[in-house]
Amino acid sequence: MSNYRVTRGLVRFTLCLSISTVSMSMSFAQQEMPQTADGKPDFSGLWQAMGSAHWNIEPSAAKAGPDWQWGALGAIPATLGVVHDGVLPYTPSALAQRQVNQADWLALDPLVKCYMPGIPRANMLPFPFQIVQGTDNVVMAYEFASAMRIVYMDQPDFAGPVPNWMGHSRGHWEGDTLVIRVTDFMPYTWFDHAGNHHSDQLEVIERYTPSGPNMILYEAEIRDPQTYTRPWKMSFPLYRRMEANAQLLEFKCVEFSEELIYGYLNKDAPADRVPPRGMPFTIQE
Amino acid sequence: MKTRYQQGSTQSFRNQQPSALRVTALALTLGMLISTHANAQQPGWQPPLTQDGHPDLQGVWANNSSTPLERPEIFGNRAELTDEEFRDLLQQAEEVRASGGDALFGDGFLNAVITGEVRSYDPSTGNYDSSWMVDRNMENRTSLIIDPPNGRLPPMTEEGRARAQARASGRLSPTDTYLGRPLQERCITYGMPYIMAGYNSYYQIVQSNTSVAIIQEMIHDVRVIPIGDKPPLDERVKLWHGDSRGWYEGNTLVVETKNFSGQSLFRGAGENRTFIERYTRVADDVLEYQFTVEDPTTWETPWTAVINYTASEDPIFEYACHEGNYALMGILSGARAAERAGQVPDAPIDAE
Repeated sequence: MSNYRVTRGLVRFTLCLSISTVSMSMSFAQQEMPQTADGKPDFSGLWQAMGSAHWNIEPSAAKAGPDWQWGALGAIPATLGVVHDGVLPYTPSALAQRQVNQADWLALDPLVKCYMPGIPRANMLPFPFQIVQGTDNVVMAYEFASAMRIVYMDQPDFAGPVPNWMGHSRGHWEGDTLVIRVTDFMPYTWFDHAGNHHSDQLEVIERYTPSGPNMILYEAEIRDPQTYTRPWKMSFPLYRRMEANAQLLEFKCVEFSEELIYGYLNKDAPADRVPPRGMPFTIQE
Repeated sequence: MKTRYQQGSTQSFRNQQPSALRVTALALTLGMLISTHANAQQPGWQPPLTQDGHPDLQGVWANNSSTPLERPEIFGNRAELTDEEFRDLLQQAEEVRASGGDALFGDGFLNAVITGEVRSYDPSTGNYDSSWMVDRNMENRTSLIIDPPNGRLPPMTEEGRARAQARASGRLSPTDTYLGRPLQERCITYGMPYIMAGYNSYYQIVQSNTSVAIIQEMIHDVRVIPIGDKPPLDERVKLWHGDSRGWYEGNTLVVETKNFSGQSLFRGAGENRTFIERYTRVADDVLEYQFTVEDPTTWETPWTAVINYTASEDPIFEYACHEGNYALMGILSGARAAERAGQVPDAPIDAE
């Protein structure tokens, strides 16, 4: 047991004593993250972020959505943001790209086309994801787009064999914190709907720290010298889905994005179907 | 390429007398190329356990079995090849492999050896050549289906036949719209189960105390199977891959899956099927995968098959199918160009 855990346990113990000895054992049961047989926090379960930071990781007020027919339902909510220490430290050219992305986000945002969201965006979406925690590997299965990743816990030197939309994840434990280094990204994913972006030099250091039985404090440090002048961090809580029948469902959104991507090539395509923009590949017409 | 055996010639299988010399040379040649696995559990071998005391099924597993789903009729009720036939099969396999011709996926392999027709044709995407093939797991079995005893799918019910016919007649043109392309090409799903031994036919299993993740490399699909008493999903929620519940029976993980969507087809069965899987590790490097499909609206009886998965040293790769699907765009774009040039469109595709 780490010093941190001992200290935390003592604080809780003292608090419980001051209330009543009867509630003590209950409090222990309720306030600890479950543990694996080898004494690690067991994050296995269904998790989801709350809030609106998936719209914009920086603070922003509410605004109208892109389609008037969707009215209030399609409007974009306000958010306090999740980025630490002020404005994102873009390089001048990367900031210019962000402005282009933001102005034209519906056409350019890869999520709209059901592309895998990348990291940390996948953890921030209004969809749950499930952690299946083995000893040597941890699987994160995301409802959105059936995206997934394997975190290699037993191979710290395993270099990424190919570039990945979801990156290449290697994990280790620092006390009770699961630390995951994610590298070997494709350059196409974004961080949010507001056009915040990165290059293929992206490296994400994630930290998953238990806070009670049903919450994980999640932090992601972003390192990308091609896009940012310094590393920066974002953090937000991940909450356990508490419904008795909560389970991962399917959101295989490919079929919901096909008309957007391929509709203009159908034989009897309506005149308003145009070639998609922001594609990761091109074909010759 | 034509192999020595002509179609239907069981005699040539039976009467072939390979010389000792040839068998030895063959064994040396094949040693590094083709793996063979017995499916019987080795005596005294105990399966490893996870830290939670469950049978440890974890690892990357390959479905590269050369055995066809249904038994070729020339074998009748025989479930296994004789030693002699098996030696012969190994040599034929090596000739197929070395020919550098077409790729033979799934059932194509043994069928090619039997018929001498070493040509594959993928009606949807055109042909793959042998560079797409990995070494196949050669077994002396004649079919993956173990029940019914003739190794073949049971007869379809009248309802099942009518459904198949309606589906065939309602098929869309393959190039008028993306909806006319198979689900695999659209990167929606390779199905559940995906049992074809081909390329990317790899799975990874990761176990926690309360759940099992079965990762399928094709389209990065993961089935997360809760272990224990979780109540079933409401029947109104239908899923491409169904809703799974799992439990352990001795050394075996049993998974029952229901709630399939009507679009999620398996050999003609749709939303009415119950799919039961049994995963048992029978050696360090062999995972026996047994499944039973029950659907009284499609077949007269349930049927059961066994595939022996073999351990893979390699990791699962990210198969970003949809993200790189320039082929679908190219197919439709090509069809529009062909129409402008006054060419005739293709016939519908028969693909489940």
